[in-house]
Order: sequence, then C-alpha cells, then structure tokens
Amino acid sequence: MWPYILRNLLQRLVLLFIVSVIAHGVVHLAPGEPTEVDPSNPRMKPEDIVKIRKAFHLDEPLHLQYAYWMRDLFSGELKSFKDSQPVLPKIWDRFLNSLPLFILATIIIWTLSFPTGIHAAVRRGSVYDRSTTFIAYTLISVPGFFLSYLAILWVVSVLGVPVIGMRTFGMEDALPLFRGMDRLWHLVVPSLMTALGGIAVLSRYVRSQMLEVIGQDYVRTARAKGLPEDQVIYRHALRNALLPFVTMFGFLLPGLIGGSVIFEQIFAWPGLGRLGYDAILSRDFPVILTINFIAAALTLAGTFMSDLLYAAVDPRIRLH
Amino acid sequence: MKLKTILIFAPLVVSVILVQSYFWVPSYEVQTVGNPTRVEKFINSSIGDAKILNPIIAADGASSDITTLVFEGLLDLDENLNLRGRLATEWQVTEKAYLVVVPGASFADGSAVTAITLEQRLRQAIASGLVPGLKDQLLDLRRIAAEERVQDVSLPGEKGEVQTVRVRLHLPARIQISLKEVDQDLFKKLATVIGPKYADSAPYGRWIEVEPANMREAVKPQFSQLVPVFEHNPIIEFKLRQGVRFHDGHEFDAGDVKFTYDAIMNPKNLSPRTSDFEPIKRIEISDPYTIKVVYKRLFSPAINAWMMGIIPEHLLNDAALKKEMDRRNISAELRETFAMRESEFSRNPVGVGPYQFVEWQSDEMIHLQRNEDYWEGAPQYKDYYYRIIPDKLTQEVEFRSGAVDRYSARPHQIARYKKDTRYQSFSSLGFGYTYIGYNNRLPLFKDPRLRKALGMAIDVKEIIKYILYDEAERVTGPYPKNTQWYDQSIPPLPYDPAGAIKLLNELGWKKNADGWLEKDGKLLEFNLLTNNGNPIRKAVVTIAQNAWKKIGVKCNTQLFEWAVFLQDFINPGKFDAVVLGWSLSQDPDLFQLWHSSEAGPQKLNFVGYNSPQADELIVRIRKEYNVDKQRELTHRLHRQIANDQPYTFLFAPRVTELLDKKIVMMEKDGSYSKIKPSKSGRIYYSFNKWKKLEHAPEF
Repeated sequence: MWPYILRNLLQRLVLLFIVSVIAHGVVHLAPGEPTEVDPSNPRMKPEDIVKIRKAFHLDEPLHLQYAYWMRDLFSGELKSFKDSQPVLPKIWDRFLNSLPLFILATIIIWTLSFPTGIHAAVRRGSVYDRSTTFIAYTLISVPGFFLSYLAILWVVSVLGVPVIGMRTFGMEDALPLFRGMDRLWHLVVPSLMTALGGIAVLSRYVRSQMLEVIGQDYVRTARAKGLPEDQVIYRHALRNALLPFVTMFGFLLPGLIGGSVIFEQIFAWPGLGRLGYDAILSRDFPVILTINFIAAALTLAGTFMSDLLYAAVDPRIRLH
Repeated sequence: MKLKTILIFAPLVVSVILVQSYFWVPSYEVQTVGNPTRVEKFINSSIGDAKILNPIIAADGASSDITTLVFEGLLDLDENLNLRGRLATEWQVTEKAYLVVVPGASFADGSAVTAITLEQRLRQAIASGLVPGLKDQLLDLRRIAAEERVQDVSLPGEKGEVQTVRVRLHLPARIQISLKEVDQDLFKKLATVIGPKYADSAPYGRWIEVEPANMREAVKPQFSQLVPVFEHNPIIEFKLRQGVRFHDGHEFDAGDVKFTYDAIMNPKNLSPRTSDFEPIKRIEISDPYTIKVVYKRLFSPAINAWMMGIIPEHLLNDAALKKEMDRRNISAELRETFAMRESEFSRNPVGVGPYQFVEWQSDEMIHLQRNEDYWEGAPQYKDYYYRIIPDKLTQEVEFRSGAVDRYSARPHQIARYKKDTRYQSFSSLGFGYTYIGYNNRLPLFKDPRLRKALGMAIDVKEIIKYILYDEAERVTGPYPKNTQWYDQSIPPLPYDPAGAIKLLNELGWKKNADGWLEKDGKLLEFNLLTNNGNPIRKAVVTIAQNAWKKIGVKCNTQLFEWAVFLQDFINPGKFDAVVLGWSLSQDPDLFQLWHSSEAGPQKLNFVGYNSPQADELIVRIRKEYNVDKQRELTHRLHRQIANDQPYTFLFAPRVTELLDKKIVMMEKDGSYSKIKPSKSGRIYYSFNKWKKLEHAPEF
C-alpha cells in the first residue's frame, strides 16, 4: 500500500511539472500580449513599453520566465500584471466566493439524482421513467445560459425579487439573519442552474448502474430468498451500484477551482471563473498560469484520491 | 428502510431550506419605492471591473470612470469641449524662443554674425516693424552665454529594442526671445534679418560629443534636434485654486502638481501616460499656488494632459511608501521595485474630486460617497455605486427593476425605450466612427479615383437604417463629428453605382464576359477583412461585398480573431482592405493616424496614407496654439482627406443613455429642471447637480 502511494505521488509530481511547462508554453504561444504592453493608447512610446516588458520579465526567454514564475509562486510574491496585487490572495478571495455556489450545486445534484435515477431504474419502461428520460435529455441539450436567462426573467417579473450577484444590493444595514437568508437566496437560482445539467447526467448514470446491478444473479438470489423488495433494492443492489460513484467524488475536486464562467458571468457572481476568464482576455499571465497550476494539482490529487477510495470500498481491489 | 427514507427526505429538506430563503429577501418594490434613502444613491453599472484606481497608472475605461469622480485635474472640458479651469483657476500660454548664434554665419549685407550684433539687429528689426507683427508680442530679448549640458538619447535598435547613449552638449551662445503668445512662424519671420539659410552652416559636430565615441554615427541623425538652431519653448503658467483639500483634509498646492508630473515620469511607476507629459522640459513652482510648465517644443495638444487627476504627494512620496513597506513587512527584494503600482493607494484612492472613496469589492461593486468639502459645493447624490454586471441582459433586467439607475441601450432597443414613459433617453454622438480602409501602398488602390468609386458603390444610408436602426450619422472625414474640428459643410460621397462604374471605366477597367471588371487581363479583385466578434462590422463587410459585386468588383471576405488580425495583417500592413473603427478624442492632433511618417509597421497609419499637403497641415495643427487658426487648419485637413478618400468614411454610431424619469437637475436654490446634455452630447457633464425625486416630475 505505502510503496504504491509513494510511487504514485512521485509520478504525479513529475506529471504536474510537465503540465505546468506545457501550460506555460501554450499561454505564451497564444497570439496577443498583456494589455499593459499592448495598449490602446496610441501615444505610448516604444521606450515606455520596453520598460514595462522588462518589469514583467517579458523580455526574457521563455524558460527564464518560467523560472521567475515558479520562484515567485512558491515564495508567495507573484503579482498580477493587471494591478500588481499578489496573485494568491486574489485567487483565495475568489475561491471563497465560488465555494458556496459549488457546494450547493453539488448537494443539489447528488441529493436529487439518486432518488430520481433509482426510481426510474426500478420502474423501468413506466411513464415516469420515460418522462424523466425525456426531461434529462432536454436539460442536457438546452444550453444552461438560455435557461438561466429565462429563470432570471421569471424570478424578476413574477416574484419581483433580485437574483443577480451575491447579495441584494443595499442590504448592508439589515439584521444578520436577513442578510444570511438573502445570501442563501442569491445562491439558489445560480446553483440550481449550474446543477440542472449535472442532475440530468448523474441521474442517467444512476439509472443505468442500477439497471445493470438489478439484472445480476445475486439480486435474483436475494429476491428468491423472499426478502422485501425495498431491502433487495436499497441494501443489495444500491450498495453495489454505488461503487463507480465513489470515484466520481474524487473528480469533484478540480471543479472547486474551475468555477463556472458562463453562470458567474450571467449572475454577476464575483467568482473564480470570472477571474480566470478576465485574466485570459487581458493576457494576465501570472493569474492564468496560477489558476491553471492549481487546477492541474487538484485534478491529480482528485484522481489519486479516487484510486484510494476505490480500494477502500471495493474489497476486490488491492493496491500494490 | 432507513436509506430509502434518507434518499427521499434529503432532497425535500434541501428544497424547503432553499425555497424559504425567498421570503426573507426584500422585493424590488421595497428596495426602490419603499426605501427613502434610495433616492440619494446613484447606482451605475459596468460590464467590467476597474483595474487600478490611480489616475497616473490606470488606462482602462472602468478605472477612469471612478478616478474622474475621486480625482480632479487642473483642467477639464466645458460643454462646448473647450478647456475649463478646475484645480487651476486660470492659465496663460506664453513663449520663450531661442536662436543659436551660429559662428561663421553672415547677415544679408555680408557682415559676420556675433552674439552682440545679432541681438542688436533683431531688436532693431522688431522695433521698426521690419519683422511684421512682433512689436506688440515681444516681452523681452536678451543674450544667453554658452553652457554645457549632459543628456541621454534613446536610439531605436533592431527588433523594437531601445538603446540609451549619453551625449555631452557644448551649447553655443543664444538669443532668448520672450513672446506674449506662441508664434510657430517666428523664425520664418526673422528670416528678413538672419537670411533664409542661417541654419545651414551650423557646426553640430563641434557642439556635440557622444560617449562612447563609436555610437556617434548612430546619434548623428538626431544632432539637429539636440542643439536646435531654432527652438520654441512654450510656457504655460497655471494659477491654482486655493483652499482645496484632499479627502483626508490635507491641503492641495503646487507641490502636488509637480509631484504628479514627477511620478508619471518616474520609470519605476510604469505609467502608461509618460508620453503625454514627455514634451515638458521642466516645471517651476513660483509660489504654492503658481506653477510654470516649460515645454521642449511646439506641441499644442500637450495642455490636454493636465486634465489628468492630481495625486496627493503626502500619501505617495518616498517617505509614505517607505512607511507602507515597513507596515506591510515587504521583503528586501521586493522593496527594490516597490512603487505606486504596488501601493495600497491603488485600491484606496484619496483625491480632491466630488466623491470620496469608501469601498471596493472586486468584480462586485465600488462605493463612493460625496465629498461634503468639494470646492464647487457638494454634489446632490450622497452615494455613488458602481456595480459590476458583466452581462448586458442582466444589466437591463436590473435597470428595469430599478436596482440600477442608468442603462445604455443597444440600437435595436432604442425605439422601444423612447416610447416608454418611465424613462428619459439621451442620444449623443460619441468620438468614434467606422470606416473601410484601403491599403494605399498597393498599386491597385494607389489612385484616389478608384477608392472614390468603391465608396460611391456603397449605400451608407442603407447600412445606417438596417444595421444600426438609424442610430448613427454619416461622416465624411477624420475628426469626430461633434467637435469643432469637423467641417460640417463637406458633402458625403453620393450613392451612385452608375457613376462608380463610369469612373472605373475611365480608369481602364472594363467588364469582361462574366460581368467582372478587368484591366490588362487582371480582375478587379481584393480581400476585405475585419475582426471577429463585432456583428456590425461583419454586416458592413457583407453589404460592401454585395454592393461591389453589383458594379463588377470581386471582393473576398474573411474574419479573424482580434489578436491574429492585428499581428498578421494590420501591423505588418499585409491586407487589401479592412473594416475598422476609430475611437478618438477632442484632440485636433491626428499625427499618428495620418502623417506619412507613421505608416511603418506597428503604427497607426497602417493604410499608408501619404500626402505632402496633409502632412504639412497635420504638423501645423499640432504647433498652433490659437484655437481659431487651428479650426481653420483642421477644416482644410478634413477636406484634403475627404478628397483623397484613403478610407471610405461610413458612420459615427450614436450612443443612447436611458435614465429614470425621476432624475432631474437640481439648482442650489431648490428649483429643478430636466437634465440637459452638453452641446457635445455628454449627459454626465452636469452630474453633480443630478438628483432623484420621489415622483416623476412634469415639465
């Protein structure tokens, strides 16, 4: 077990290094330059631009730029091109904004998908099964931003309350309880919108997993023993059907850093996705690269974790 | 079964918790109508967040939206786009001109030029009226002894690098002539005394030493600029407003103005505005409220730079920055480069403007509060909020529900909003226009008649009507249409496809069997490009292609991502024709856009327009300090460019701003009137007087 963990960690570190080198190369290969050195102000002189390039180390060869980036990243002194503010606290602040959205969306996805999926599998071919299939495919094929616009228009015109942003504007003086509930409300619509696609996909997975397991011999055996149907489904079948989902938990991890550009954009949510998107548009290399680096690290950690989890829950698997 | 119960109840519980939160949220109704403090707040919305709230570093629109409220410049523009005093109460432009005593030169009568004789003869000639029009202008005329000076010169190296070389100047004796007003023709007039070839015998080699000596050849082209025989030094003397205080109570004076200039020129601060202040030779503080700015050369637009916000010296000087570094425990290595960009001031600005900074939540909102101590009287609105709403549609939703006070409507929405009685709308021309630019360097486009024919084939009226929903105006030349520099009397190109074909026939293009125009076996064919992501430009491309097809011109079209478009086509000048737009300012100087010297790679005259007449006008305009004369020159330039048709000038889009009808302009005596935009169309010109009433007024 331990040798496996150590070897695997080492491999992943090497992989992380390779990913960071490739990402660094790709970001610099993309056409366009940071807005600070490619200004719209025609009066700026080449001398001034040279000065700024130098301050940003943009005049150095790529491998040195990579070294500067790594040095600054690990000493915590990496600064954004845009406003010269430290990058890590900036990412941390945005991460804290995106986190509740992510958590709530995950809760909604996982709590809703299982009952609907299981029910559909048990009543295979029923009206319920067919209508959930229909709804799921509709949700998968209709773009999320379109549904979001409809939801916003509906909430604003019918319910008459704000949905945009992290809180209602101008609530600074209200009681903490009101403010807390207000924050929660502002989470509801965007996280539901983010979750819709997830629910559709995950409930399909649950359904097919369940169907596969229900057809197994041991389920027939359980039924033959005369166990109540609920016990057959929830104890014997569900437990085994759950196995693949354990691995999916590991893959949730990188989602933490990804944020959702489209939903954050539509709901004016000051999250990580927007930070990254704006950084890409203005070629703010330190921010883009750092977010990318953290995302890569989390992805590797996530797959590592799901390997371990799988071994823990499935006695047939042993790690060497 | 426990698991089953959990699976059923978990989603129920989650849903109930989420849905109940709805009942705690105040409705729009409560926020906007039932909230008495709401009328004292102005809530703006913006697509993007500000970057950095220091006016000397910021270069983006959102940052300047905020810095113009928090900071104030010496000058700004009045409702007719003329300069108006803000922190400066008055200003005066005078001139000191220098004439080098060239050894070995001789006067018309053959006698040798010496400092003493030159001074005497000039004095006599001016006093006697031999030199026209200078008698009343002359303030002073004197000799200045020779002197030494060391200076750095930057040389453009290969691949855009810049090299700096030190030169030692042995300045010869000079005559200093002080004038009441700037006169760019002074030395031309003095030619009656010194002769037209006075500068020819100037021994630059003796006056200039270059270290290291092997760089001498490289510096040589700049010799005549390093020790100019004729030198103009325009001088602006500003009288500053007294008793103005920064938001922290510290009084504003001439030291802050000089500090702002020094901060911009300090290479550590990486200010994108250095070039605006580069023409300044030095700044002298005469007393705490008088400051004199001496310029290196004639460059009239330089005064516009003083519209930039003045920053407080006491919060940003070396001592203050050192204190901040100590407080924040900045590491020794970072201390080296620590400058204004890194300072917390950039996220916590202090200025003298009508609003003071309160709070900034990144990508969410910026909150300002009115400055009760503002020198012109506190603004009407108590709070100013700048909300960042990156999506246009959600912006509109917030506007319609009353949580944002303004919205700039898109062309297709304007007709609908104009009918809506809840809102007032203001339509104004911006400083921009859209055009089709032809690569004037190519043999195909060399002839202005061909460019004119192509322009005549396009029905611009149709473009304005169907693509911009009539929210644009036809333009005929290079200046923004709402400035005085634009000559309104110049007629646009007529829409005349038949005339266009005739003109092309005259040029030797004849229709071939397939209906395409052909000359010497070659089709009249070219590529029309534009950038991706701009639907209006894309539509213009399609319309132009179709219009040209009708007269037998074959045009292929392509779209490119912006960065690729610039890098592969515009900067190297490798294109036939493009659809693009300019966004300009009230500045009459168009040197970078149209002068033939600016046609190289990476420069803005990328179409390669080259006209000696236009070049001369452009140079005269930037050297002219008299607005009336400047206007005359710009009108001539406009006509020249309209005749040459290097672009097909298309249209200037109109911007429509929507406001709640309850917002009015409140006077100090309590009477109010409808908001009146300035003549140039800026509605925020009188923003400090705006106030929102409880109910919509009737006018």
